Amino acid sequence: MNAIASSSLRRTFRGGIEAVRDIDLSVSEKEIFGFLGPNGAGKTTTVRMLCTLLPPTSGTATVAGIDVLKDPDKVRRRIGVALQEIGLDPVQTGRELLELQCGLYGITGKRARERSQELLELVGLLDAADRRTKTYSGGMKRRLDLASALVHKPEVLFLDEPTTGLDPASRLTIWDEVRRINGEGATIFLTTQYLEEADKLCDRVAILDGGQIVAEGTPEQLKAQMGHDVVSVSLNGADPAATEAALAGLTGLERVVSAPGALALYVEDGAGQVAEIVRRLDRDQIQVGAISVSRPSLDDVFLQATGRRLEVEEEEKP
Amino acid sequence: MTEVLLLGRRAVREVARYPEATIPTLFIPLFFLAVNLGQIQKTFPSTTPFLKGESYVAFQLPVSLMFAVATATSGLALVTEIDNGYLDKLLVAPIRRSSIIFGRLAADLVRGVGGSALVLLVGLAFGADIRSGVLGALVIVLLAALFGVAYAGFAVLIALRTRNVQATQSSFILFFPLLFLTPNFVPFDRLSSLMDTLAHLNPVSYVIVGLRSLVIDGWKPGELAVAVGVILAMGAILTALSLRAIATYDR
Repeated sequence: MNAIASSSLRRTFRGGIEAVRDIDLSVSEKEIFGFLGPNGAGKTTTVRMLCTLLPPTSGTATVAGIDVLKDPDKVRRRIGVALQEIGLDPVQTGRELLELQCGLYGITGKRARERSQELLELVGLLDAADRRTKTYSGGMKRRLDLASALVHKPEVLFLDEPTTGLDPASRLTIWDEVRRINGEGATIFLTTQYLEEADKLCDRVAILDGGQIVAEGTPEQLKAQMGHDVVSVSLNGADPAATEAALAGLTGLERVVSAPGALALYVEDGAGQVAEIVRRLDRDQIQVGAISVSRPSLDDVFLQATGRRLEVEEEEKP
Repeated sequence: MTEVLLLGRRAVREVARYPEATIPTLFIPLFFLAVNLGQIQKTFPSTTPFLKGESYVAFQLPVSLMFAVATATSGLALVTEIDNGYLDKLLVAPIRRSSIIFGRLAADLVRGVGGSALVLLVGLAFGADIRSGVLGALVIVLLAALFGVAYAGFAVLIALRTRNVQATQSSFILFFPLLFLTPNFVPFDRLSSLMDTLAHLNPVSYVIVGLRSLVIDGWKPGELAVAVGVILAMGAILTALSLRAIATYDR
């Protein structure tokens, strides 16, 4: 059984804004599935539909085998959710917040106190447990939010941009936590705008752009589909069409993708072709900036699928 | 029920931890009580027929109680939770959405009982005499608190419909027509013709008259029943609208 499945899932907002357009998903149990895309791609809208917070305009979706529209309450019992907006009550202490969260899932009394203690320990917040959450740092809030999504040991955990705005150390802590939760058997559906996060953390990745999935597979599959090396040519003001024309017919050249201010050449032997690239550009008197050779990354996959690089927009987090 | 208790306890805890949200709501009625008495008490000595031998503070006391409990505190707390994402956390939990509203209203009841008891004690200190006795005083506090619960529905409804802090704060302007287009300074028959008509159309007038009867007249079942009816009807309508708003929140 799939942990998450959707068919032609669509959400159109007032004014005809199509946030999500006919998304088909199939996430296996115990998988870490990444939804990669820039702000406004439709990641959060998709998560909100799968979490029963937003009804789809059309299409169907099941989570843990349960229809999100027909039986949202049952879905809610089986999922944990940490949304992009960290949902914490600033007036409560970390411990109070977890104990309340336990209560909302029917865990009360001694069991609630024990589970809260266990989770506080797990996310490293025991020392701050009795402080109000408004005094927590961004990383601490994120960890507490994650803990609050785990009180009832959910089968499927939704994490909407769990590391956005965090410093690198806090980001690694969250990654470790996500791996540990997954290791205990939970399916993880996470959205991210970080290529590295999708690459290192996820078993499979779907790239979302303009409300549609434009590529899907394991990070390795997606990169392998790109073919060989990537030679990036910074145009530095040079004419893209003339530069592309000069490099046409290069040995082993699979394709050229144009990005703002640069060309990405997918070449069989990138390092071996650099001299030839320089020679051709020189011959046509085209002045370019840096030329670099690399293995394809998810950024290249993104570029190939969408025609532009993924630019991360950091948000200020308290 | 457990959910309501849990969320209610949380909201009450919030009241205790944010006294700065409650103190201004108590300052306003006490300020008005003191100022009104200072300015008007000499104009209406206890020999004034409508005071029936009581001091003017007794006449004003129910109005001060209304001022104390008619707040937008719950609506503001709710819209803050919409803003910081905590409401989503509650909406995605397997609880009845109504418990989110009832939890908030439970805190309003506690806040209302505390606030109106304090204002009542100040009124007694200023010389008011509750002619319906201790039981009457308890009924006054309870009815005032229930009115506060009913009135809270305005701001809760606006918070859920607009999801906007400023719009929710602006619900405060309802306070003026609802509490001033009433027989708050003098009885109905002393109002101008227009004011008399408006005050008769305003349901809050009947709550003031009912509470005032407990202070000045003792037990007058007719006036009390109307006051209770108005509070229950207002509470039922606004709570029903709030419940509908939260049930369809994400549509």
